[in-house]
Amino acid sequence: MLTFNEKLVALDLDAVDARTVIEVLAGKLHGQGLVVAEYGQQTYAREVEHPTGLPTNPFCIAFPHADADGVKESSLALAILSKPVVFKNMADPEEDLQVFLVLMLANRNPEEQIQTLRNLALLFGQPDKLAALRDQSTAEKAVTWLRGELHLNQQSVPNSRASERRDS
Amino acid sequence: MSRLIVVACGAGINTSTVAEDIIKQRVEQEGFTDVVVKRILMADIEGYLARPDLVLVVSMMKIFRKFEVPVFQGMPFLIGTKEEKEVVLQKILDILKKK
Repeated sequence: MLTFNEKLVALDLDAVDARTVIEVLAGKLHGQGLVVAEYGQQTYAREVEHPTGLPTNPFCIAFPHADADGVKESSLALAILSKPVVFKNMADPEEDLQVFLVLMLANRNPEEQIQTLRNLALLFGQPDKLAALRDQSTAEKAVTWLRGELHLNQQSVPNSRASERRDS
Repeated sequence: MSRLIVVACGAGINTSTVAEDIIKQRVEQEGFTDVVVKRILMADIEGYLARPDLVLVVSMMKIFRKFEVPVFQGMPFLIGTKEEKEVVLQKILDILKKK
């Protein structure tokens, strides 16, 4: 199970920096009791040490997260920014990336979310999909669209190749 | 003796899990039963480099140094197109086939 709903989306977020985005998303997760109150702080501390910016196209994204200790229930929060903020590149912490979209995957257990991670990785490799996500006009539409892409409504079948299914 | 592939990343939660899973599934599909795929922290890599069963390293970070075994950049598993993922998988399979 992965919790993801419209209250976990920040649309047109006007943030000054990466830390603000992380705090906003962690605050939304905490507001629904999905993570501990310190999750934002923990995630930012980890981001400084192990950055999660990714040089995707047509714009860069970031994938911040912290250790499972602070997660009560596996969940996802999404920020679509009105102007980019800088995250460091995961593969090269010296490099600044201008990030437009932030996905915070609070994960109790990575193996349990492996299908979602796989589907996210498929999405990250497709510029038209990332553009489509950024262009969703409401939080509800963004949730419906992303739940469909990640096959979140049909995860009862373990190890199924959800990426090969087209209906949602 | 089984052969070991390590997938190394900075922090070891979400990102290396994707790469580990994609490699594992493909290696099984190709019928290699003697290959173990393991995700590790880059900080722990020294201990693995000394192991005689290590055949290759997949790094989710930029590669700054030389290893005795082949090392491939694993970022395409996270953000690459299907074709880019396939290129890295083929390189890995080529090493495994050589034996």
